[in-house]
Amino acid sequence: MDENEAFEYVKSTLKKEKITPYQSDELEIVKSIGACINCGLCINHCPVVAAVGLDRFSGPRSIAVELSRSPPEFWATADKVYLCTGCGTCREVCPKNVNIPEIVNVVRANIFEHRPDLVPKGLMIVKEIIEEHNLAFEPWEDKEEKEESRDMRLERLGLPSIPDIVKENAEVLFYPGCQAEERAQEVREAAKAILDYFDVDYTLLDEFSCCSLPSQLMGDAKTARKLAHQLKGKVKKLGVKKIVTTCAGCTSTLADLSVRDEWGAPAYHLLEYLVEEIGFEKLADALKKTAKPNDIHVSVHDPCHLIRHTSRQVMEHALNILRLMPGVRVSESVAHDNCCGGGGMVSFHASEVANSVVQENLIALEKTGAERLVTPCPLCTAQLESNLFKSGSSIEVDDLTVFIAQRLPKKG
Amino acid sequence: MDLEADLVVIGGGMAGLIAGTIAAEEGLDTILLRKGQSATAYSSGAIDVIGYLPEASEPISSPEEGLFALSRLYPLHPYSVIGYDDRIESGKIVETIVERTKEAITWLKAHLDGTDAPLMGDFKSNMHPITILGTTKPTCLIQKTMDHGDVQTREDSVLLFIGITGYADFNPSTAAKTYLEDRIADTSPPRIVGHRTVQVMPFGKPYNLSSVELARHLDHEGTIEDLAEQLKGHIEQLGATHLAFPPILGIQNALKNKVKLEELTGTTVFELLGFPPSIPGQRLQRALETIFTKAGGKMLLGHEATSYQKVNDIVKSITATAPRREIKIDANAFVLATGKYIGGGIAGDEKGLRETVFDLGPVTGDYHSAMEIVPSRSTSRLSISPTGQPIQSCGLSVDPRFRPVNDDGIEWAKNLFAAGAVIAGYNYSVEKSGLGVAATSGYSAAKNAIEFIKEVT
Repeated sequence: MDENEAFEYVKSTLKKEKITPYQSDELEIVKSIGACINCGLCINHCPVVAAVGLDRFSGPRSIAVELSRSPPEFWATADKVYLCTGCGTCREVCPKNVNIPEIVNVVRANIFEHRPDLVPKGLMIVKEIIEEHNLAFEPWEDKEEKEESRDMRLERLGLPSIPDIVKENAEVLFYPGCQAEERAQEVREAAKAILDYFDVDYTLLDEFSCCSLPSQLMGDAKTARKLAHQLKGKVKKLGVKKIVTTCAGCTSTLADLSVRDEWGAPAYHLLEYLVEEIGFEKLADALKKTAKPNDIHVSVHDPCHLIRHTSRQVMEHALNILRLMPGVRVSESVAHDNCCGGGGMVSFHASEVANSVVQENLIALEKTGAERLVTPCPLCTAQLESNLFKSGSSIEVDDLTVFIAQRLPKKG
Repeated sequence: MDLEADLVVIGGGMAGLIAGTIAAEEGLDTILLRKGQSATAYSSGAIDVIGYLPEASEPISSPEEGLFALSRLYPLHPYSVIGYDDRIESGKIVETIVERTKEAITWLKAHLDGTDAPLMGDFKSNMHPITILGTTKPTCLIQKTMDHGDVQTREDSVLLFIGITGYADFNPSTAAKTYLEDRIADTSPPRIVGHRTVQVMPFGKPYNLSSVELARHLDHEGTIEDLAEQLKGHIEQLGATHLAFPPILGIQNALKNKVKLEELTGTTVFELLGFPPSIPGQRLQRALETIFTKAGGKMLLGHEATSYQKVNDIVKSITATAPRREIKIDANAFVLATGKYIGGGIAGDEKGLRETVFDLGPVTGDYHSAMEIVPSRSTSRLSISPTGQPIQSCGLSVDPRFRPVNDDGIEWAKNLFAAGAVIAGYNYSVEKSGLGVAATSGYSAAKNAIEFIKEVT
């Protein structure tokens, strides 16, 4: 048997041995795990450990040195790796920047492929929805009801109604993400209003489909790659130069995919687009023209997928935009950059863990005395809003995109 | 998007944060990048200045005494270099070195007052706090929570080491045994040393506990009272006057907790110095970050300096890379405080060592080029030896203004200053000088950078 034959033979036994070879773009992640010096600094900063203790969630170090190195099928790790919210705090404090949030997805992908019986049921329900609709949430059955819900939201928030546009060769593709497409429709409408106000040449997708992050997070690598491929086709066909989104998770995922799969169109969060393409001058002019709004005291939540998966500078943009708004006072919460618990699909199968993580944010928020919380991510908005409501707090939550759109003057 | 600043500090440990705070307090627009936490966050949280002279086995009694000796015997030591600036008269070399270090250490102590890591002690003498192994080590400043009072001087003192069920990082019986043997050999108090175990259960379970869970738990209301209640019987049984805890007394309320526990038990309560990454190290890191941002400095966490632009002998900008974005930052001066092997400022492979941001050539502790040394030859076979690991002395050679120099001794750039563990010529683990060198070199690098910026603008 020569070398090639031996290679082919070994390859043919992999399936039986329950071994999945790594994709080439996963190799960097796997190598980074080898740099772990087993110090445990990450444990001191992990928000899930802080919320539920080391005995329930063994923490980032254990993922790096134990759970990611267990047998090929990784079965023994299942009750722990699904509790990581993927916030990236461990990678950010780690002196070696060990890529723990990404290796979690690799481990989950192995479990998903070889031991689907160990994948939490809550995730399998989402998997079926994605397979059927290419969306992370069950779509509205009745289109008219969906429109009614949208119009009610617009009216309540005082946002203008802008017709959807789909066209080829626009400058920008506005990509709302599943949450804003199906549930938080006000965010989608608010972004359209902002883009329209600044005369941005933009389009929507003809048929919206998921960015693939939920599939990646549950370990469904095959569907994730399928969705990414599908979206690339749509982007290419539209011929846009840039992609703008209002969702934090979509921002980091699209930014990644557009490089990995060579989309030829970089992806930004709307905040980045406003600051870098529209500029503070135009923003300040517009915000000053608003009919005198009531004074409002806000606090800000930083979505993990923007600060730790994209760049902390994005939230600097958010603060700088808020500073331009007349009548808006910002108080920083000490937990402004603490994970809301809504990440990593944890809330889909262990909501008690997700809701313990967010408690620290709630306590810190009450201390700011702010009457409203703003955050540039519809998923963080939903998680924080429902937990504030449950705790009986009077603090309201707005997606930052909506908050900005409400403070732009009428066009014309 | 590009950013501009007067000063960019690369690295967010002790050296970088002190340099940044000094610049920001001077009114300079200062941006500090940090790719991850480093040796400061790992440390025991005590500030060593100089505990042993290189190759000596007896600890020295005061930083002043150590610096006198260093300044004459080791003129290239990071503490010594500033004394050998052209602008200093030859009669004032020693005085300059001692005064600068004292100034930096005094500045640090004053600035950390009122933070989560208030310090005590002073430059005049070294203290000998107790570690979780039951040993003692010479250090200049300790966190106030580590103050063991008169346990080592009061004739009738009785010390109890307190362990926590399910917390494996501290073994009170071994610590008590080691400490007592040491005190007997030294014929000094305390003459009675015991150990007891209590239960602290952050999540209702007495097993699988980490320091941070315990520390956070003790920050909550009511927990100290519970602890005091458990301790009462143990204290009475042995007549304990002092209680030694592993370093977990709290994160924000550690000092308040110590005081409260003392009031409730009528003893002196203190934290032992712990292994990395310790909670007092975390408190120190937080405290330094607090003083930096309070001074007006801007932190860019999760950003790594990955490239630079240099024109002639001036660094113009650096590129900061985050997981999915790059930012170019222009500045008039730069402080390189990236640490050594943990922080990642110096990296090595089988071919030799290199500095990671500007690709400068490091030197060995003897100031020969380390670019082509085999790292394994610079390590000692004994993992713990009195001479330490020579590889720990490798780093950048700097001029009296803390600018890294080429092998001809001329600065590599006029506006790049180095601070902390990235500098060669000292072995912190042998000398017990790590955070002291970081603080003093960060302080000096900032002063020099400020002077440079004022000249050019």
